[in-house]
Amino acid sequence: MKCIRHLVALGLSGAMLLSLLSACGGGGTSGAQPSENSQGQEETQQGESTELLVWVPPLDDDTEASWRPMLEKFEEEHNCTVTLEIIPWTNYQEKYTMAINAGEGPDIGYMYAEMYPTFIDAKAIDDLTPYLTDEDYENYIYLEQTEMFGGTYGLPIVAGVPFVIYYNQDILDSLGEEAPETWDDFKRICAEATQDTDGDGEIDQYGFALGWNSASFGALNSNWYMWLWQAGGDIFNDDLKSVRFNDAAGLEAAEFLMELKQYMPEDALALSNDDCFDKIFGAGKAAFAVKRSSQVQGTTFAQTYPDLNWDYVTALSYKDSATFGAVDSLTLMSACENKELAVELMKYITGTEFMTEYHKTCPGAPLTWDEPYQGDEKMARIVTDDVEKLRTLTVGPKGVEIYEYLWRQLQIMFEGTQTPQEALDEAARYANQLLDEYWAAKE
Amino acid sequence: MNGLRNRGGRRKDAVPAPAGGAAARVGGRLRRVSPYLYIAPIALTLLVFKIVPFFLSLALSFTRYDILTPPVFNGLYNYQKLLGDVMLGDAVRNTLLYAVIVVPIQTVLALLLACCVVGKGNRLTARFAKAAFFIPYLTSASIIGIVWKTLLNSDIAAVEGFFALFGLNASTLLGSSKTALPTLAGIAIWKDLGYYMIIYVAGLMNIPQIYYEAARVDGANKWWEFFKITLPLVKPTTILVVFLGITTSFQVFDLLYNLTGGGPGTSTMTLVMYAYNLNFKSNNAGYAMAVSNVLLLIVAVLSILQRKFVRRETSEW
Repeated sequence: MKCIRHLVALGLSGAMLLSLLSACGGGGTSGAQPSENSQGQEETQQGESTELLVWVPPLDDDTEASWRPMLEKFEEEHNCTVTLEIIPWTNYQEKYTMAINAGEGPDIGYMYAEMYPTFIDAKAIDDLTPYLTDEDYENYIYLEQTEMFGGTYGLPIVAGVPFVIYYNQDILDSLGEEAPETWDDFKRICAEATQDTDGDGEIDQYGFALGWNSASFGALNSNWYMWLWQAGGDIFNDDLKSVRFNDAAGLEAAEFLMELKQYMPEDALALSNDDCFDKIFGAGKAAFAVKRSSQVQGTTFAQTYPDLNWDYVTALSYKDSATFGAVDSLTLMSACENKELAVELMKYITGTEFMTEYHKTCPGAPLTWDEPYQGDEKMARIVTDDVEKLRTLTVGPKGVEIYEYLWRQLQIMFEGTQTPQEALDEAARYANQLLDEYWAAKE
Repeated sequence: MNGLRNRGGRRKDAVPAPAGGAAARVGGRLRRVSPYLYIAPIALTLLVFKIVPFFLSLALSFTRYDILTPPVFNGLYNYQKLLGDVMLGDAVRNTLLYAVIVVPIQTVLALLLACCVVGKGNRLTARFAKAAFFIPYLTSASIIGIVWKTLLNSDIAAVEGFFALFGLNASTLLGSSKTALPTLAGIAIWKDLGYYMIIYVAGLMNIPQIYYEAARVDGANKWWEFFKITLPLVKPTTILVVFLGITTSFQVFDLLYNLTGGGPGTSTMTLVMYAYNLNFKSNNAGYAMAVSNVLLLIVAVLSILQRKFVRRETSEW
């Protein structure tokens, strides 16, 4: 009996050991491995199917279902299999880092501007210039915005959805005001709108609903870039060797935000911007709020905020009129084994035929000049009259660390612990130190 | 041993079948290696997930490593950089402050709660209290974060009223660098209290009742019993709770990351969060390892101190 117990215990122990060893072993077969051979090309030459792995974040409720019929057409025409993996937004960049490190990254990846420097530096993504034709340069609306570090690293797939200033038409009407055009207009209306409407001695209607609680520098999209650019400033100097957001223009933008603070909810630092928009502006308790636009905003707001009478201003004017409009792109990974085919797929996905079809179900701004606009009429002027106001980030080295620290310093400034000048100078000191180290290592 | 006796018995009977001899040899070998096979899974787990990563982290802390390209040796550069790192200074200060707030309060509250629960015996109220206090500990930090964020930013009069009793505005607690860390510490105490209470309950139940009976015979009141019997006799448990609390506080991450992400500014940035940001957001893995090793050093020193204290207390007891 004891012997049997021994054997059972040993068997279980062995099973655990085996499962542990098998878990530790490699064995992923999907995805792009660093090219050890040209197996993919060989397969294509022999007429066998090639597999392309594409990573994209959720772009709509069911991106796989939206894209699949059109991808099947490409698969048939090119005798290949396209595997689409939807990567959740949470820790998006980290998933790429880990997968590429493990040799299991995709062939084509969806990337946003801040991701590029790291992957370009690591030679994990390829310059698309050799694959682009004159026709491509003419037809893609936003292609110029994916040029960085002397190359073109992406084909734009999501663009023309900038952060805009939404306003409550009823509040503005009650104040006898029109939509603001300048900083002065904006500040004046904010001051007039900040009121105690029910007479209980407490402010219950705010000029500007802008939340400042965020773990991510992504909040700079709504809380910083547009003001900085409108004041005539920018993040990096042209040579990318130092930053300039603490110059006179940057200071003016920061001071303007601090002037607006008195018209924001007192718990703005405890609320994320999305919460602020939803709970305060969406509830009709603020004159203005900033949020990323969408070509179907008319439809979605009608469902989410049925009582809200709203409109928007793409960008205010001060020394310049600009707002942040991300240009996210499809990127060719260096480890891809069949690059010609991958680029063909990238062009197909971002091309007129695919996007016209896709935007019928999920409206978005046209990416090419010959794609028709299919969104809500109300949002059309963003990509027609105001298209020149859309700006994306200058992609510079050490971007993530610089933005992260800048965001934290802006929080400190907004709280009142540091003056705008102190906060910006400290962020610039940190950024310049990082850039010095970066360029020193390059030399 | 039993198997050996059996084998010897067969030899005495002088029926040495060749096949049986081979089986015995195999059995003997198996018996010799079986202890190693038993510990192999856990030993391998420790090796792969603890020991190898430790040495890897130590080695990588002397390199410039961005995860995507091979590490490049850069000597003591990362450790030199630690000395002038402002954010690291903030992270160390916040981590220490967090531990200083959390550990004493949670230790005292856990002991008091455990005394109340043990005093109620196995009554329904005691069982309910144990479960009620333990549930938050089992709940994921992300969910706790969402719940508290919603509560603090809600218009619920009861929540606002409760904080107003202390002269606080609930909705601004997480948005001020003065109140954010103490608020997070309060939430962490609420979350982990049940766990430490259970440890104390086990400790209290080990105290022989005869001491209390003797004290009562001598006319001792409840306070006297608590200070003269309970408190000294749960000292080893208290040391355990304190050191567990300290090590957990030094490793706090998820709750803070979900609620404030280290902000406003760096007012709630802890060592683990800083190392995480360096490694995963900035791809600065070499330096992140150096920061992690600072944390490791602090926790290791505390663990050694704990072992010394526990040993002394146990021997005294």
